Amino acid sequence: MAQMASTAQAQGVEELIAGIRDSSDKVRTEAWLNAGKAGAPAVKPLAKVMTDNDLEVARAAKRALWKIVRHTGRPGANKERRAVETELAALLGKDQPVSVRREVIWMLSEIGARNSIKPIAGLLRNKDLREDARMALERIPTKRAVTVLKSAFEKAPEDFKPNIAQSLRKRGEEVAGYPCQKLVPKEKS
Amino acid sequence: MRIISDSLSDTEVSKQKGDKTMKKSNQLNRREFLAAAGATAVSMPYLIPSAVLAGRGRAGANERITTAHIGVGGRGGGLLREIKKFREAGVVNIAAVCDIDKSRLARAVEEAGPGTEPYHDYRYILERKDIDAVVIGTPDHWHGVQMVHAAECGKHIYIEKPACCTIEEGKAMVAAGRKNKVAVQVGSQGRSQPEAYLAHRYLVNGNIGHIDRVDCFHYPSPEDNNPVPDSDPPPELDWDMWLGPLRWRPYNKRYCHGTFRWLLESGGGQIRDRGAHVMSCAMWWMGADGTGPVTVEATGTPPTKGLWDSAVLMDVTYTFRNPDWVLTWRQMPNDQLPPAEERTGKEPGGKISRPGYGAIYRGDKGQFIHWGGDGGTWAEKKAREWKLPAGARDVYESPGHMEDWFKGIKTGAKTIMNIEAAVGVANLCVLGNLSYILGRKLQWDQAGQTIVGDEQAQRMMSRPQRHPYHL
Repeated sequence: MAQMASTAQAQGVEELIAGIRDSSDKVRTEAWLNAGKAGAPAVKPLAKVMTDNDLEVARAAKRALWKIVRHTGRPGANKERRAVETELAALLGKDQPVSVRREVIWMLSEIGARNSIKPIAGLLRNKDLREDARMALERIPTKRAVTVLKSAFEKAPEDFKPNIAQSLRKRGEEVAGYPCQKLVPKEKS
Repeated sequence: MRIISDSLSDTEVSKQKGDKTMKKSNQLNRREFLAAAGATAVSMPYLIPSAVLAGRGRAGANERITTAHIGVGGRGGGLLREIKKFREAGVVNIAAVCDIDKSRLARAVEEAGPGTEPYHDYRYILERKDIDAVVIGTPDHWHGVQMVHAAECGKHIYIEKPACCTIEEGKAMVAAGRKNKVAVQVGSQGRSQPEAYLAHRYLVNGNIGHIDRVDCFHYPSPEDNNPVPDSDPPPELDWDMWLGPLRWRPYNKRYCHGTFRWLLESGGGQIRDRGAHVMSCAMWWMGADGTGPVTVEATGTPPTKGLWDSAVLMDVTYTFRNPDWVLTWRQMPNDQLPPAEERTGKEPGGKISRPGYGAIYRGDKGQFIHWGGDGGTWAEKKAREWKLPAGARDVYESPGHMEDWFKGIKTGAKTIMNIEAAVGVANLCVLGNLSYILGRKLQWDQAGQTIVGDEQAQRMMSRPQRHPYHL
């Protein structure tokens, strides 16, 4: 029974990917609009298509993944949400392109919880992604996210400390030595 | 009021203005800037700002208000031209213009004429003590941050609609306006139009009976029929500052001046553009400022290709309680729009030049329709011809949207589209889009200013902002 369900699910994902890769705008749109229920099994296959050379195909894959995130974030769907979160967190590694990882960070900012915090925190050391990672942690409403930001602040290079200080203040923490920069004009005209 | 000739050197003018911030390295020398931009300087008198002649605070009844303009392309350019008329009438000085696009800044400097200093970074303007008020015409995603910063620096503010892009921004804007006691006018100028006044008094005097439904209509959002790949930004554009608080993304020609409107994260589509006009009239005329819906439910049709992602067609239903009424927002095919009234052109608002949007008010004794709702607002004939009987209820008649703002600056009177009212309207737009994006009905707690029972939606009430462009 379980095997039959798994086979059906795999077929569903294959059909979704075929729809996303279709040459017709209408078929692609129909595919991503209906992607929400595909859930966790579709996450990795869609991530692969997000870097397709055809911009419209890549965009459809990204929109399908967002549909999954929005669908599984609905009230009362915790089990589905956790499964999608786990699959997304696995996409934050160096084997994935920066563009995919950046998108995934923002997806996790909406549905991420305990399982996402460590992999996102790891990106606070990545020059290309640290600002997105900081903002995602700022948004995840758990104490663990604040603890991780505090710890990252201690170890952060000087040029990034004001950014983390901004997040910590947003989360109600006092930060000494790094005053708010928002009203300070840029040096360069 | 003293008049200083433009023949004075910039340094002399700067000294006379008593403005120590003028020598900041960032500040662009006007003449050098014009020369570099190929603009022609026109000799014009420079008028000393009110804050130099009097102390800081509210400008006196006969003193000019000194303004600066932040964002001067597109709608911001239109606001600059509008304010110029008030300079000619002796109401304001225009001290500075600011834009992160050098071409647009050059045009604005030329437009504003001598005595106006160009800036790249708006925060230099906020540092200037001689500037009383700022006019903000930047894209939506900058509104919250720049309004809050300007209020914190004690500037009165005219800011384009929609007020905010997120619920959190709206809360911060209301708090900043109140705390700093500045006059804020948001650019939903439909409330100030002559026929809006006629419609308002017609409706509040029960001419169509008890109104329990307002249906807003609008033509569809466009689809991107010419999508292009991301590329390097043009040399005249500071892409980092254009993005400002938004998450970083590469430049795309289809996501910048003007076209930002069609992306949900920045412009929010038709609902956040025209919705902030049409629903502004509805909230004003229904006496619903300060209230909010209990539920919001949206569906829509997305574009089938391209970068733009705001809904092409859209249906949103807002349910209000105590009093009970329903507000809807519908982007519909053009052939489903209600026909526009035929007019002679001699009506208070002239001919209907924007028949593609408006609202139908449904009462238990009839219905009423208006078109437009922004700088053009046209009321149905029966409201225009209705005479206010003795003892009937009259309503506030705005002297004009800018004039109403100036009155707020000089007297402390509440503006017609004050920040509380504007955030209330913008929240309708924001919640409509959120429900559309999430594909589910939302419950809204107006008193707590929060979405109820949906953690993901609650997280989306705010959006983390890039350093240092934050509230």
